[in-house]
Parts: sequence; structure tokens; C-alpha cells
Amino acid sequence: MDAFLNTLSALGQGFMHLTWQGSIMILIGCLLLYLGIGKKVEPLLLIPIGFGVVLGNLPLANLAAQDEGGVINLLYVSGILTEIFPVLLFVGLGAMIDFGPLLANPVVLIFGAAGQFGIFITLLLALGLGFAKQEAVSIAVIGACDGPTAIYVTSKFARDLLPAVSIAAYSYMALVPIIQPPIMRAMTTKKERATLMTGGEKQVSRKVKILFPIIAAVVTILIAPMGAPLMGMLMLGNLLKESGVVGRLVDVSQNTIANMVTLLLGLCIGASMLGGNFLTWDTILVFLLGFLAISLDTVTGVLLGKLMRVLSKGKINPLLGAAGTSAFPMSARVVQKEGQKANPRSFLLWHAIGANTGGQIGSVMAAAVMLAIMAGLGIGPL
Amino acid sequence: MDWTFGLTMTAAGMGVTLMTLYLLTLLIRLLNKLFPFKEEKENKPKT
Repeated sequence: MDAFLNTLSALGQGFMHLTWQGSIMILIGCLLLYLGIGKKVEPLLLIPIGFGVVLGNLPLANLAAQDEGGVINLLYVSGILTEIFPVLLFVGLGAMIDFGPLLANPVVLIFGAAGQFGIFITLLLALGLGFAKQEAVSIAVIGACDGPTAIYVTSKFARDLLPAVSIAAYSYMALVPIIQPPIMRAMTTKKERATLMTGGEKQVSRKVKILFPIIAAVVTILIAPMGAPLMGMLMLGNLLKESGVVGRLVDVSQNTIANMVTLLLGLCIGASMLGGNFLTWDTILVFLLGFLAISLDTVTGVLLGKLMRVLSKGKINPLLGAAGTSAFPMSARVVQKEGQKANPRSFLLWHAIGANTGGQIGSVMAAAVMLAIMAGLGIGPL
Repeated sequence: MDWTFGLTMTAAGMGVTLMTLYLLTLLIRLLNKLFPFKEEKENKPKT
């Protein structure tokens, strides 16, 4: 009888150890699952993250990312803390990107720089709010609108903020179609938004498409070697695609690698979101600052677009500036939609895709420069 | 707040990012000049 009661008591241990924070996190996990499955919001990411949150917060399961020796902990240590997952994701990303529109109209690459300005304003705000330098850099990089870059930088400097930063980065990327349009409309007149752009879909030679990833990797890595893993893998993926001779590797990069890493990355991030470290005031601040960073990217991008419209004597639509973020291809689609609302004859998508891929390069470059400066100042992880 | 760090990061970060992207713009222009698109050659089927 005693043995039976002991068995029953051992079976109920999980319920005995369930905390209120853990229960709230399990509910949050279920909410993410609902958004992913029910509402189809970023399902590839929200389903593994949501289930990871549920698993990680179940007591005694040894499935939290921080539970040493657990299955998810092994994945977390070997994939996230070593930065391999975000870096691998960049191979897939590079294999998916077409730099053609950017190569045909290179002036739009400058929008990729303006789209990063929000990162640095947010950095100043985060420092002003009392975050440590490493934390401020990690929060600011949400403004890159680039999940893997945000994870890469945060896993280097402020691992405690990794769950909040990664969730914020991916959430705001998905919310770009909601965040950007009101800012774009508020900052431009209808006449500006209606600007027609000529140039159409210019073709670029195959040699240029092949040489660009090689040259871009060499130049950017020589300037900021700390960003080499990100830029190197992004350009490797693109070179595989443009070479046209390694279809199997392109297929593996675009599908197998990208999908597998997304699954494991999501699971690990979710399982690292524990009640004790996630339900904090800092998490709310991270989300607020991240929102501000992405909004400011749009503001500065559109401001540069307005300036370029003046300099080009009305040939550039200022909305293109909003596509200078790394949220690919969401930002480009938003620009096309807003442009067509103002002028049904307007077709900005081709140019906006160019600016958007410029934003991809710009965000990695901005992160690389930040990493280089941190290394130069001798600032290590927290 | 560490203003020196914040302003160094902002000025150097934006400056270097902008300069690098401008340099890439010039390199792309150069590549397009060196290897212009030739429709017949690019679309020619390989035998």
C-alpha cells in the first residue's frame, strides 16, 4: 500500500511544482500556438516557439533550455550559444534572395543604410533607460528587423535577454504591414506617394550576379571582420544560387537547412522563455524599445526617400525608403501597396525589392560594425 | 548613461554602414560597366 501511495505521490510531483509564473508561461505558449495554427501568423516559427514555451515551463521535465543535460539544453548550447543556428539560417536566406533588382538599380542600396538608423537611436534610449552596454546593443539590433541577426548579436552579449529579443524581433517582422503604413502616410504627401518611377525591370548579366556575392563578402568582411559569419554565410548561400551549377546544394540550403534550423531555433528559444526570466519589467521595455527601433527605421528611411526625391528632381518615390529594412519581402510589399493606393498606375515592387535586399545587407553590416566596435572597446559578454 | 559609448557607436555605426553600402554601390556600377547585360548571349540556350 505504501509503495502504491509513493508511486501516486511521485506521479503527482509535476503538479506540486507548478508555479504561477510557469502556468502563465504555459498559457502564453498556448496563445502563440493559437496565433500560429489558428491565425496563421508566422506558423513556421510560432508553433515551435509556442510548444517550446509549454515544454520548457513544465516542472521536472528537464526540457527548459537552461536545464543542464536535457535534450533541449544540448540543442541550445550547441546551436544557439555557439551561434551556429543563426549563421546556418543565413545560408538558407542567401539562397532565397535575388539581388537582381538591387544590382540593376544600385542607388537603392543606400536605403539599406537609412533603414538601420533606428537601431542606433534605440541604442541611445536603451542606455538612457539604464540597460548595460551589451544589453542596449542587443535590444537595439531588433531594429535590424532581422531575427537571425538579433539572435546572433544577443547570444554573444546578453543571453538573458535572448528570449525577449528574439520574440520581439520576429513579432515585429511579422507586424511590418501594420507598423509601417501609418508612418509612411504621416510622413509623406499624397503627391509624393504618387510619384511614378521609371526604369522598369532591368536585366543584369550573369557574371555580375555571380561576382557580387564574392565581392560583397570580401569588402564587408575586410571592413568589419566581426560580422564575417553572418555576411559570409549570406553571400555563400547567394553564390550557390547564382552559380546555377549546384541545384542540389541550393535546394538543401533553401529547404532542409532553413527549415531544420527554424524548427530547432524556435524550439530552443521557446524553451528558454521561463516564467522567472521572461515575466519581468525588462521584457516589456525590450518590446517597447524594439517597436520604437522599427518605427524609427521607417521614419529615417522615408526621410532619406524624401531627400532623394528632391535630389533626383522627383524621380524617386520616397516610400522606397521604408523598404530599406531587413523585413524581406514584407517591407517591399507594403511599399508597393501604399504606392498603388496613392497612384493606381504606380508599380514600385521591383525597386522596393532592391531596397529591401539592400536593407538585408545593411542590417548585417550595421550589426557587424557594432560587434567590431564592441570588440575594439574590449567589451565582452555580460 | 555612457554618452561616449552611445555616441561613438551611433556615429561610427551609421557612418561605416553608410560608407560600406556606398562603396558597394560603386562596385556594382563598375561590375555593370565591365559586364553589361547582353540579351542574346544571356538567353542563349546551352548546347
